[in-house]
Amino acid sequence: MSVILECNALSKRFGSTLALDNFSLRLERGKIVGLLGPNGSGKTTLIKIINGLLVPNAGGITIAGMAPGVETKRIVSYLPEKTYLPDWMKVSDTIRFFKDFYEDFDEKRAYDMLHRLNLDPSKRLKSLSKGTKEKVQLILVMSRRADLYCLDEPIGGVDPAARDYILNTIITNYDENATIIISTHLIADIENILDEAVFIKAGRLVLHAPVDEIHEKEGKSIDTLFREVFRC
Amino acid sequence: MLGKLIKHEFNATARIFLPLYLIMLLLSLINRVMFSIDNLSKPLKTIRNFSIAMYVLSILAAIVVTFVIMILRFYRNLLSDEGYLMFTLPVKPSQHIISKLIVSMIWNIGTLAVVALSLLAMLGTRDNLESLKEILDGLLYGLRLGFGDKYGLVIAEYAILLLVGTVMQILMIYASIAIGHLFTEHRVIGSFAAYIGINTIVQMISTIIMLIWTNIELSMLNYSPYYSELNEWESSISILEAVPSKVFPFSIIFTIILSVVYYIVTNYIFKKKLNLN
Repeated sequence: MSVILECNALSKRFGSTLALDNFSLRLERGKIVGLLGPNGSGKTTLIKIINGLLVPNAGGITIAGMAPGVETKRIVSYLPEKTYLPDWMKVSDTIRFFKDFYEDFDEKRAYDMLHRLNLDPSKRLKSLSKGTKEKVQLILVMSRRADLYCLDEPIGGVDPAARDYILNTIITNYDENATIIISTHLIADIENILDEAVFIKAGRLVLHAPVDEIHEKEGKSIDTLFREVFRC
Repeated sequence: MLGKLIKHEFNATARIFLPLYLIMLLLSLINRVMFSIDNLSKPLKTIRNFSIAMYVLSILAAIVVTFVIMILRFYRNLLSDEGYLMFTLPVKPSQHIISKLIVSMIWNIGTLAVVALSLLAMLGTRDNLESLKEILDGLLYGLRLGFGDKYGLVIAEYAILLLVGTVMQILMIYASIAIGHLFTEHRVIGSFAAYIGINTIVQMISTIIMLIWTNIELSMLNYSPYYSELNEWESSISILEAVPSKVFPFSIIFTIILSVVYYIVTNYIFKKKLNLN
């Protein structure tokens, strides 16, 4: 199996706090990976480093063998927790924008998903609710045929019905060479689609194992294990 | 990819500038018609005065908007939430800076051109054009008197200086915003502080250079063995001669150096110190 993501002793410091502390991780292609940890554990920091939005203070990182840069941005599809689409754009403008910049963007897939979720492409983003904007973003991100998807809290603001559809879209849309990292603390909702779980606590890797193995060894769900590991 | 960035930046800003330009031109044409009517009735006079006022306002608005959009596009599109979109596109940070700079320059020149065009449309009667020609001729005559056959060079150098000066001003604002981004909080205040800081430093450096330069020039004159009234006349000539041969070229080079420094600072921060909230 080829490696899609390799982090080697990553450290990232913000002032006096260590957001990532000697963090090492290796992910293979073709997996859906849950990046699980409480608020402030370093999930977003890690994802930002993968996407070249932050530069680590120490350690190395490669995506498909390359350091973060123009080439890796071509193959990584990123959904931040922010609503990042310009308000003045129409939904159809954002699709054109993605098509313009990402060679792997599948326009037809995007319009299909918009149609399924009853979203009008001629609407301006300004007129959409926060949850609807998040749906549009997720559609854009999942309409790319990327090698690595980084979804930071993808289901937080979306209603349960759309959540099911979106999770379903994620599983059915990704091809077997791609890996999806889903960062969340809503574990119960995504547990059954995960192949692997990564637990992160105070910037350190606590656990990285296949979900089946955890079920077998521990005899409990990821959700239960999470509550134990991160007991306050 | 730079082309796509420019195209997108153009789309994002044209929706503001083009209507503004259109309004300005329309108002100037209305005024032109109003001016051509000899005996305006009282209500028409009120309308005319109103449309003149609106025209002046539209020029002011265009200048303010050009300036504000330049800052806002850079800050909002790159360093607020939209930055998450822009900085994960498969483009280099430098291409973001260049694309924003080019489009800003286009609108700077565009606003200037449209203001000139609207003035021409409004006031460009045969009489006015002739007096404009007279003024320009007088200006040329003065330049020729001062600089001899180098007056063409002076005009060309001045135009270049205006152009690189505008580029430098824009890049200075970009660098200030980028430096403000290094702060964890109060980034807008940080940007203002950076702008004032840079300005102060540049002022100091250019004052020092000016002082050194004038000292050298003066000392050369004062210690000349034939110092006389005739030399004083010559010295004023030599100062005029220094404009195309020394003052303007030096200013252009100094402005370009500053621009490069601002660009490098901005690019470095984008590449190594980016930290979107």
